[in-house]
Amino acid sequence: MNTSPITKWDGATAYFTYADNPNMMLALLALSAVIVVGSIIFGAFHEKECYVKVEENGKR
Amino acid sequence: MEQQIADLTAKLAALEASTKMSGTINSEVFYWWCIALMIVIHAGFLAYEMGASRAKNVLASGIKNILAFAFIVPTFFFFGWWIYLAFPGGITVADAAADGLPWAQKMGPNLADNATGIFWGAFALFAATTASIMSGAVIERIRMTGFIILAIFLGSVVWILGASWGWHPSGWLTTEYGFHDVGAAGCVHLIAGAFALGVLINLGPRIGKFNADGTANEIGGHNMPMTVIGLMLIIVGFFGFLGGCIIYVNGGQWTNIYGQPTTLSAFSFNTLMGFCGGLIGAWVKTRDPFWMMSGGLVGIISAAAGLDVWYPPLAFAIGFFGAFMAPIVAKMVEKAGIDDAVAAVAVHGWGGLWGVIACGLFASGYPNINDMPPVSLMGQLIGASVFLALGFGSGFFLSLVLKMFGLLRVPPNSEILGLDKTKVPLAAYPEGLRAMPAE
Repeated sequence: MNTSPITKWDGATAYFTYADNPNMMLALLALSAVIVVGSIIFGAFHEKECYVKVEENGKR
Repeated sequence: MEQQIADLTAKLAALEASTKMSGTINSEVFYWWCIALMIVIHAGFLAYEMGASRAKNVLASGIKNILAFAFIVPTFFFFGWWIYLAFPGGITVADAAADGLPWAQKMGPNLADNATGIFWGAFALFAATTASIMSGAVIERIRMTGFIILAIFLGSVVWILGASWGWHPSGWLTTEYGFHDVGAAGCVHLIAGAFALGVLINLGPRIGKFNADGTANEIGGHNMPMTVIGLMLIIVGFFGFLGGCIIYVNGGQWTNIYGQPTTLSAFSFNTLMGFCGGLIGAWVKTRDPFWMMSGGLVGIISAAAGLDVWYPPLAFAIGFFGAFMAPIVAKMVEKAGIDDAVAAVAVHGWGGLWGVIACGLFASGYPNINDMPPVSLMGQLIGASVFLALGFGSGFFLSLVLKMFGLLRVPPNSEILGLDKTKVPLAAYPEGLRAMPAE
């Protein structure tokens, strides 16, 4: 997969992967945001499940 | 002859370019190591909070602290840096904000920009420090989900908005009122302490902290040496934090965040003198090693606003007073029925408030640049009031919303059993040290 925005180093400025592809940048940004939000939601469910077990059984 | 002049001119140009690039790279190297030292702050907060927790909550407190760091760095990339660049004028968005958008060409590896990444990194670590300040206050009873949301909000929105207003060369508190706070006593410590106070009011005390008649019980952590060593690690990390507060000017004198000339030597004098003033102030007041090390931190925070200008014995005295008063403030917080497990409100909130006001009391008249107002007591009081309102208001409001949705506090049985046994798949001390019976 060729993700490089440059073909030579002379005169290169922003050279990170997909620097020349705004759609891919936005897609990756959205993906990372989904990971952050999704992880918080996942953590909330796990936490709630643990609390319910303790409330019902007195232990996890 | 002409050829020799041309050769010399070319050599001179090459030398100038080389010197300039060396300066640029030196600047990057300087802030790179400031970032590394600031991570030591987190090692310190980690040890501090785990030591201050009872054995039944040690790992849960550690996880909470680590996750604050983990979630703040990406969210600071998403919107924190943009907020800093966007709002120095107040609520209108500055043109420079475009450079902080997460899809900007400066927000990634770029051979034409050696500055953005390293400054973003330093500010992200300031953000994580700010959230860690709140983290210790709420141990042993806050829900992880609610804590992460609060940490993101404090670290990637609230403090950086305050920094844009009062810790930025074009911040309106400086351009309008001459606000001066080179070591971030206000935007980091005062805001975080006030935010924590707002959260604590809605969170409530740990079970067993207060008796029916309102008197308080001491809930000791399980490992005071770990807490004290953690505090010393925070002090080590503060040299990275304060180093990150000074601007490396390629080929010129250092400046503070406002563009006023200063030296790293000035910071060295006053950080160490404030630290030791704080150690002694807390020792005189309490003779307690926890408060001595916390007092050292208060001493640095108290001297932080004017680190660039203090006569060192004055920094010592300011640190002494701040730390002498901090245990009194902590007792007042406790008497108000608020359970601040690590005295974050007193150490950071009071220390930051006193530091900002002390700068107005003892450093008024120091000139600004570009015809902006000089340092004044009124300017410092305005800045302190803005930070206090911003921190407390946002912390109180957001935690109230989380409370309404049941996301703020763990259920009582889990709190009594201990958060490690409730949700952590490991034991902190599988052999030897056992948790005390449920309190």
